[in-house]
Amino acid sequence: MMWPMKPREISPTIIDALKLPHLVRLGPNLYGAAFFLMKLLPACFILDCARDAGLLRPGATVIETTSGTFGLALALLCNQRGYRLILVSDPAIDEPLRRRLEELGAQVEIVRDPAPTGGFQRARLDRMAEFQAAYPDHFWPAQYDNDHNPGAYAPLTELLAEAIGQIDCLVGTVGSGGSMCGTSSYLRLLFPHLHAVGVDTHGSVLFGQPDRKRLLRGLGNSLMPRNVDHAAFDEVHWVAASEGFLATRELHRRHALYMGATSGTAYLVARWWAQQHPDASVVVLLPDEGYRYQETVYNDAWLRANDIWLSELPPAPRLVEHPRQAGPDWSRFLWGRRSYEQVLGGPWRSGALP
Amino acid sequence: MIEDSPVLPAPVHRRVSGPQQGHGAATAHHGEILQGMFAGPEGHPRRGLVTLPCAIFGSQAAFDPAPGAVVAVEPGWKHKARLAVELALASRDLAGWGGRLTIRSNIPPQWGFGSSTCDITAALRALADAFQLDLPPATIAAIAVRAEMASDSIMFEDRAVLFAQRDGVVLEEFGGPLPALDVVGFNTDPAGAGVDTLNIAPAAYSYREVEAFRPLIGLLRRAIYAQDPRLVARVASASARINQRHLPKPQFERLEQLVESTGALGLQVAHSGTIAGIVFDPADGDGKRKIRRAQALIAELGFGSSWHFRTNERGERRPDE
Repeated sequence: MMWPMKPREISPTIIDALKLPHLVRLGPNLYGAAFFLMKLLPACFILDCARDAGLLRPGATVIETTSGTFGLALALLCNQRGYRLILVSDPAIDEPLRRRLEELGAQVEIVRDPAPTGGFQRARLDRMAEFQAAYPDHFWPAQYDNDHNPGAYAPLTELLAEAIGQIDCLVGTVGSGGSMCGTSSYLRLLFPHLHAVGVDTHGSVLFGQPDRKRLLRGLGNSLMPRNVDHAAFDEVHWVAASEGFLATRELHRRHALYMGATSGTAYLVARWWAQQHPDASVVVLLPDEGYRYQETVYNDAWLRANDIWLSELPPAPRLVEHPRQAGPDWSRFLWGRRSYEQVLGGPWRSGALP
Repeated sequence: MIEDSPVLPAPVHRRVSGPQQGHGAATAHHGEILQGMFAGPEGHPRRGLVTLPCAIFGSQAAFDPAPGAVVAVEPGWKHKARLAVELALASRDLAGWGGRLTIRSNIPPQWGFGSSTCDITAALRALADAFQLDLPPATIAAIAVRAEMASDSIMFEDRAVLFAQRDGVVLEEFGGPLPALDVVGFNTDPAGAGVDTLNIAPAAYSYREVEAFRPLIGLLRRAIYAQDPRLVARVASASARINQRHLPKPQFERLEQLVESTGALGLQVAHSGTIAGIVFDPADGDGKRKIRRAQALIAELGFGSSWHFRTNERGERRPDE
């Protein structure tokens, strides 16, 4: 007997409906995985695992420090699952996002002053520690260190393998390390030679640059998350804010994809890599939508006022011999699946945190 | 989920002269393309597998019905097949019947060819033939699991299914057969006694391994849709590698090197047995030479003699879209 096919179904929540990306062809050999909010995958998996392990009881309090999309993903989930959520952030958080988080029921705690050493990052961690002490029954997702962050990306790789088949290269931005290290490790079970290209920005410590203030947000880091497995990367690119922003606009103009700045930055690198390797099948991760950037990346006046308006994209990155040589423009380094120590000659040490 | 309860009585179409001797046959499999944990109904993970059919081995059964509740089996140690026949008789309101079950098989037991499920399937088909019963694959699967605890999915023949071997149900239909594959098979433990599936603990997968089966099943859907032997072999190699942490095959790294050096597509194993296969593309013009080279290397590694078979010979490759 032939069994009937499963019909399309109703999602129990908007999170289930939007967790996985749309796959869009961006070139003859380039496929974009366009997410509504990529961080839903790790946030959902981390909470699921915590609940199954008895670490997160019904109605318990989730506490995290974030000013970005991971906080939004937690707020959506806690809203639908009845958890209390406290997010510790700093003044860099934008007002519309703060209002949205609060409407979803999150308590947003803004740290007003940086710590004497360690800056806002330290001050946020200190404030979070106070809340954690006040709520002994809390759960801390800890996206930088929690193995369930990279572990969350198997459903993405199921979709990619099913829709595309052979995959030779994965391109994506690196912030916590979760999406790139998790996705590449699952895909390499099937395609051991998969080429992983990590996209970072100048002034991020992830791949050996000295820490400094960065205009391109949502990728890079001032700390070294445990979830960045350096040996996962074959190649690393550093992209400047002006280039990443223009590439974001290009993604919209060419493909009508209204995405955030991390998506455009990854697209810049992926498009170049795919053109250089016409026989390879290339996937690029596009982590979130563009609405948060309407008044910045998508506003020429703002770009000009910040002196980062560009008329055209550089045609190719500059190949550098060492991560410290990267910049000020788009640069590329052959990381070769080595550890941080192997490339930089010693372990990463925080310049700012004790 | 697909269920077909074996306890529901089905109409019996008796011949005028009553039941007569019935015959049935089933072919073996060559271990699995994929074995692991997969989302079952309500999303709970269930153990499941996708077998690789292997028609060069098989079982044939004859059943002579006789009044009385006793079922005799020959050879006498094939008691799982006898039990399956008894369960089927009871479930079909034929409790007053017994008979004589004779099984002939050329399958080496406990290497991972699915010999006991093959015997059961052949026996139930013989029974169905004798009583003119309708025993669809899902019913045979459900009875087989009751008779032997864990079954293979050979009753589905060339239909590729993700089968829950301990529940006896199909978790997923792939909508077609596996693509045609050339396989050079061998026993990784030629001196050993094989593996008794029921005497080894089911694999205790880590959470990362359970998650890792998602990309494998995803690629298998694409592979079957596209009838692409290269992608099937990717899935088989990945599943074999995961299985190394549970029931390791000796000289696994050398076998992986053998795949590379011979230009094979991948490595396939019996996840709860000792046989393995080197997978080649039947459309490869240089395939015969590669297969001979693989057979020589297998012998060099000390695995003894090997056998060669082709699956789904009538299969066609889907034209590129």
